[in-house]
Amino acid sequence: MSFIAKVLLSCGVCAVVALGFLAKADPVGKDRQSSYALMSPDTQAMQDDPLLNPANFAVLDGQALWHEATGQKNVSCASCHGDAAVSMKGVAASFPKLSSAGRPLLSLGGRINQCRTEHQGAKPLAAESKPLLSLSAFVATQSKGMPITVNRSAANAAHLDAGERLFNLRLGQLNLSCAQCHAERPGQKLAGNAIPQGHPTAYPIYRLEWQTVGSLERRLRNCLTGVRAEPYAFGSQELLELELFLAWRARGMPLESPGVRP
Amino acid sequence: MSKTSRTLVTMPARAKKGDIVDIRIIVQHDMESGFRHTETGQRVPRDIIRDFRCTYNGVDIFRVELHPGMGANPMIMFTTVATESGTLEFKWSGDNGYASSTSSQLVVT
Repeated sequence: MSFIAKVLLSCGVCAVVALGFLAKADPVGKDRQSSYALMSPDTQAMQDDPLLNPANFAVLDGQALWHEATGQKNVSCASCHGDAAVSMKGVAASFPKLSSAGRPLLSLGGRINQCRTEHQGAKPLAAESKPLLSLSAFVATQSKGMPITVNRSAANAAHLDAGERLFNLRLGQLNLSCAQCHAERPGQKLAGNAIPQGHPTAYPIYRLEWQTVGSLERRLRNCLTGVRAEPYAFGSQELLELELFLAWRARGMPLESPGVRP
Repeated sequence: MSKTSRTLVTMPARAKKGDIVDIRIIVQHDMESGFRHTETGQRVPRDIIRDFRCTYNGVDIFRVELHPGMGANPMIMFTTVATESGTLEFKWSGDNGYASSTSSQLVVT
């Protein structure tokens, strides 16, 4: 082998080693970590203390809405579902899902709106509106500490695969996929911030940057704008499938809703 | 923002005379700064809490002026000295007729 060939070969090996060092496999099982672990002790305390957590205002608003009769049928959520602490226990941990075969994939917010239109005779609440986020936060809190129960099934397999494709799809002017940051480089820094693994365990979250409560879809749209891609619309099939894949990827991890994030 | 909103107060129910009492209050408010614009370029009018005051048995013990630079759901932490049993009243007021109030009892032994 000529000297030049040896140099080229060793450079190639170095490059492969360097890439291997930077890009790791998607953490699985016990290696998975909620982004709670990356937050400062102050922000963690804010999430843990109900008297400090600003998302609790949304939960309390949601509780009030739960008991408020609305729509043409003049019924409240409580009229059918009763005590949310019983009827909604674990429910949020199973979303997004198909309410029945052949029906569209729904997030928790979408399911709340389906209930409004079909059972209350009310208009659906706008995406990211305060009442929808409050109700979602109230329902999600009932599953606090419970593991995410999204599993692969014959019904959701196609959506799950589509979500996985999107997770690995390079997008935007920066030509980055979700996986390149959140699966291959979590824990490293992006503009001074630690890159989380991207497990949706605390939604809806009170994000300090937003100064308000927001959904996972808003967070995903943030990331899409971050890679300079056209963000998918709220409630779009793409976002729902991505949400489904993320929930499946985080299956078994406990829900922290309502979370606080920096 | 509505005319009133939720408040949360954290403070001990009992204290010894002369003790320093830690008080932590948080109030639900968007604190719309007035410097933001909508997608169509219209300015979102300012809507913030302007004033917070705390009275202890009717006497002013703590007062805050709030400004547009302050974040949503402002939290304020302060202390007072336990002098006598009684009521601490917390009052917030702000733009567009906003007013919230709550009170807590303190037993001093």
